[in-house]
Order: sequence, then C-alpha cells, then structure tokens
Amino acid sequence: MYVILIYDIKTDEKSPRIHRNIFKICKKYLTNVQKSVFEGELSRAEELKLKMELKPFIRKDKDSIVIFKSRSNKWLDKEFWAMEDDKTSNII
Amino acid sequence: MKETFYITKSGTLRRKDNNIVFENSDGTEVFLKSEKMDELYLFGEIDLNTRLLNFLSQMGITLNVFNYYGYYSGSYYPRESKVSGYLLVEQVKTQIDLPRRMKIAKEIVCSAARNIYRNLRYYNKREVDLSVAMSEIEYFISKIDEMENINSLMGIEGNIRKIYYDQWTKIIKQDVEFEKRVKRPPDNMVNTLISFLNSMMYTTVLSEIYKTQLNPTVSFLHEPGNKRFSLALDIAEIFKPLIVDRMIFSMLNKKQITKSHFIDKSRGLELTDVGLKILLGEYENRLKKVLKHKGLKREVSYRYLIRLECYKLMKSVIGEKRLRRF
Amino acid sequence: MKITGIMVYYYFVCKRKLWYFSKDITMEHNSELVEIGKILDEYSYNRKKKSILVDDIINIDFIEDWKIIHEIKKSKSIEEASIWQVKYYIYMLNKLGVEIEKAIIDYPLIKEREVIDLKEKDIVEMEKVLDEIKNIINSKNIPKDMVRKSICNKCAYYELCYV
Repeated sequence: MYVILIYDIKTDEKSPRIHRNIFKICKKYLTNVQKSVFEGELSRAEELKLKMELKPFIRKDKDSIVIFKSRSNKWLDKEFWAMEDDKTSNII
Repeated sequence: MKETFYITKSGTLRRKDNNIVFENSDGTEVFLKSEKMDELYLFGEIDLNTRLLNFLSQMGITLNVFNYYGYYSGSYYPRESKVSGYLLVEQVKTQIDLPRRMKIAKEIVCSAARNIYRNLRYYNKREVDLSVAMSEIEYFISKIDEMENINSLMGIEGNIRKIYYDQWTKIIKQDVEFEKRVKRPPDNMVNTLISFLNSMMYTTVLSEIYKTQLNPTVSFLHEPGNKRFSLALDIAEIFKPLIVDRMIFSMLNKKQITKSHFIDKSRGLELTDVGLKILLGEYENRLKKVLKHKGLKREVSYRYLIRLECYKLMKSVIGEKRLRRF
Repeated sequence: MKITGIMVYYYFVCKRKLWYFSKDITMEHNSELVEIGKILDEYSYNRKKKSILVDDIINIDFIEDWKIIHEIKKSKSIEEASIWQVKYYIYMLNKLGVEIEKAIIDYPLIKEREVIDLKEKDIVEMEKVLDEIKNIINSKNIPKDMVRKSICNKCAYYELCYV
C-alpha cells in the first residue's frame, strides 16, 4: 500500500528526544517529504514492523501519529503548488 | 516489494542511525530507506567503508558498482543464505548430462528467439516491412530442436541475432548509424545503450538468482563459470529482447533519448549524467510494470517474471516438470 | 535425517512442501505471512518468551517446569497440523525421558487456547506418520499430489508449485 504518515509530538522537556527517535525510525521505511511528513510504499509486514518500532517511543496520551493509506500511488494524485521536488525518487 | 536505489552522483555513503545515508560532495545528506532497499547501484565516485558493507550484508542488500558512465565492474553480495546442497548436486548432474543440458539450453534459445520474433511482429504492423526477417527467424526457430550440441545451437542463436540486429535501423526512427553490434568500445548510440542496459539486465537477473537456491555459476547454454556468473547470462538471454530491446526502440522513437545524451570519448560513446538518469528511471519503470500471469492467475511484475524463470529452471533441474516456454 | 517439528507440521499441511523443505529448498523468506509472524514473535512475546531448542528437532516456544509445553500459533487455519506438531514434541521429549503432562497451543490473536495430550492411540499413529515422513523426504521424487487447494493461495511455495 502507499502511505502518507504525519506526526505531532507534544512539546515538553522530553519531546526533542522523542522527535529524534520517531524521525530516525520513519526514515528507514519512508521518504521524509516535509518536516513531520513521510510518504512511500509499505507492505503489510513493513507497516507492522514500523508500528512496532515506533510503539515504545510514543506517549499515547500526548503524541499523535496519523497514517493515510491508499492501495497504490496510482490512486493518489499529487500536485506541487509551489516548489517542485523529486525527494521520493530512488535515483539520486 | 523492496526497492532499488541508484546513485549517479559522487560523494560518501555511510551507515548512520541504522540507516544508509548518502552525502553529496556539497554536504547535503539523503537518507536511503534501509528497511525498503534490496539493491543499491553506484555510478558516481563514492567513498564507503566496511561498516557500511557489514550493514548492507546484515540487511540483505546487494551492491552493484559501475565505473564511469556505464561499465559494470562488480557486485557485493550478502553472505549466501539460501543454499541447498541437494539442488546444487541436481543442477550439476543436469549440466553434465548432455541431453538434459541441451534440452534446457534449447528452451533458453527458443524463449529468447520467440521474444525477438514478438518484437519484430510488433513493429511490422507499423510502417515497416519486417516480414522477410520474421520468416527467416521462424525458420531458425524450427531448426532449434534438431541441434545436437551447444556449438550448433549457439550458431542458430547467432544467426537469429544477426537477422534481428539487421532490422534495427528500420525499427528505429532516429538516425543512429547502427550497422552492427560493437561491444568494446560501443561506437554509436545504439551500441552504447545495448551495452549499458545488458549489464543492468545481468545484475538484475543475478539478484533474482540469489533469491533462489540456484547456483549462479552452473549454466546450461553458456559454458559454466566463464568469467561471469554464467547462469545469469543464460537467463538474461530470454529477457533482453523483452525488456532491454523494447525499451531502446521505444525511447529512441519517442525521442526520450537523443544524441544530446551522449558524449564522444576516446573509449567510445558514453552516456551523459542526464542520459543515465533517464535510462535508469525507464529501466526501473519497466521492471515494476505488472502483467497478468495466466498460469498463476496473479499479477506479476516483469522483475518477478525473472524469478519465475528461475523457479521453472529449478523444477526442471530436479526433474519435476518440463521447462515450459516463456 | 532428523525429523523436526516443522516437518511433522508440514506433513499435515502439504507433502510437497515437506519434500521441498527437506531438500533445503525453502521459500519462507518470500512469504509476507511468515514475516508478519516473525515480527509479532519478536515484538509481542519478547519478555515472556524463552524459546527452547532440543537437539535441533524440537523448537518449543516456552515450557513450564519441564511439564507443560506452550506453542504459539497465529491462526487455527491448519489446526490439525499444529496439534500433531505439539504431539510430536511430547512424544520426543517423553522418549528423551522428560515427562510432559500436556501441551497448550495459544492463539493470542483470537484469544483462544487449546490443551493437547498424547494418548496411547496417538503414539501408534505418530509412528506411522514418522515412517511416512521418512519415505517422503528420502524419496528422489517430489510427491505428485498438487491440488489447487484454498491454502495454496497463501503458501510461500505457490509460485514454485504452479509456475
């Protein structure tokens, strides 16, 4: 499936560390397209693994992670309204 | 599905945060998704260390290195995890049993020839008349079964390829000065494209072989272990017309690739940076493209078709079922 | 060749799979289901779980006082195979002199458990099964019976079998 993952970490004394960890983990699975926004293709197993890896860092009562899922990126129209980038390309 | 990454720029590749990071020469960092990656291609001039190689191995990622603009230099593979002594013995037994080896070698030549024929048939409908070449190829295909040794089979294969290449200037609607296949160095656009994409095909096939228990050195059509992993050469024969050649025809005819994407060097005609990126993008798209597999009743990608060919070969090696035509 | 618990399991799932597996032609690395199972194992049981390996034959998820075996399964889809797999563990451990009272199969995803013991008649049946397994894995030829069963669709060997 093709996913867009966004997150919000509540700012307090612990948040920089949490933010760093979440950011590092997400980057192994998805492309970081904007500050706390990631996108990419995930299999069900990869999705589960990502979820399990994130779990210990998330404070259930303070932080929020939202994942939008689509069967394939074919079903998702993407437009750039300002600067265009090719961050999701695997050809560097 | 795992992903392939291609680095055309120069810089440094490191392990960082349990991930792989590419640092450009101007210092910008790009993180490559280590959990998603299964192949990494390097084209630029890149510094790396064993810490990275160990990480690649741990993550099961294959590294393919090309030197300046398109010559394949080698691959770094994770330690073999899928080995079967039984299958290796059967693969070798099949190889040294001439009738059995011939049967598989013929299947390979025949599948490749049919894919060549299909390419000609596709372009025959469009403005050019390729019917003579098609019937000649048909004639040679009908002769495949009669061949009694590898040399004569290779002879047939060579004839088919010669007729095929002779049609290329008719198929390609750009002025490409393609007279014949020249390898070292490639002397014109078409030869440069064939050389580069054939190397890509070889690495792709090899990585699919590595996902099975087949041994890549024990081949059937090519002589085993002749410098390269010759089983990859065998299987690549089938897929070159299907993936590489179709891609060349279509990109040249749509002017996606033109003279401006090449530079004339003493070593032959080389791809430019932009040309390389365009080709990699299109190659990637073609491998990802899916089609319905009738036998399996499933959607499979072109890349996966290569794996399926390996499975068929495994079955014919263990004597399970006749290798079917592609 | 040693008969492992997974071979007993495969015997009841599919004899072709058993044959391929015994020749080290494994396909599990391609299977998303197997991968999901591995991730669940790694993350959900890591504190409680002490997996025990006996003589490369028995791979038990955990064991209480050397009396009760616990085996964790994802689903009941091939229940008979799971039951015979744990019966084999009891059978082998008893042979090695470990008196096992019973086995418990846990299905954490459906929140069920099942208690299994090894009866006299099971021992007779077990020995028959083990003989048949030996025949299959020592055979040069792969078992022919390939039916497009509903389970084939989810099997890691699907492509290899049907291509």
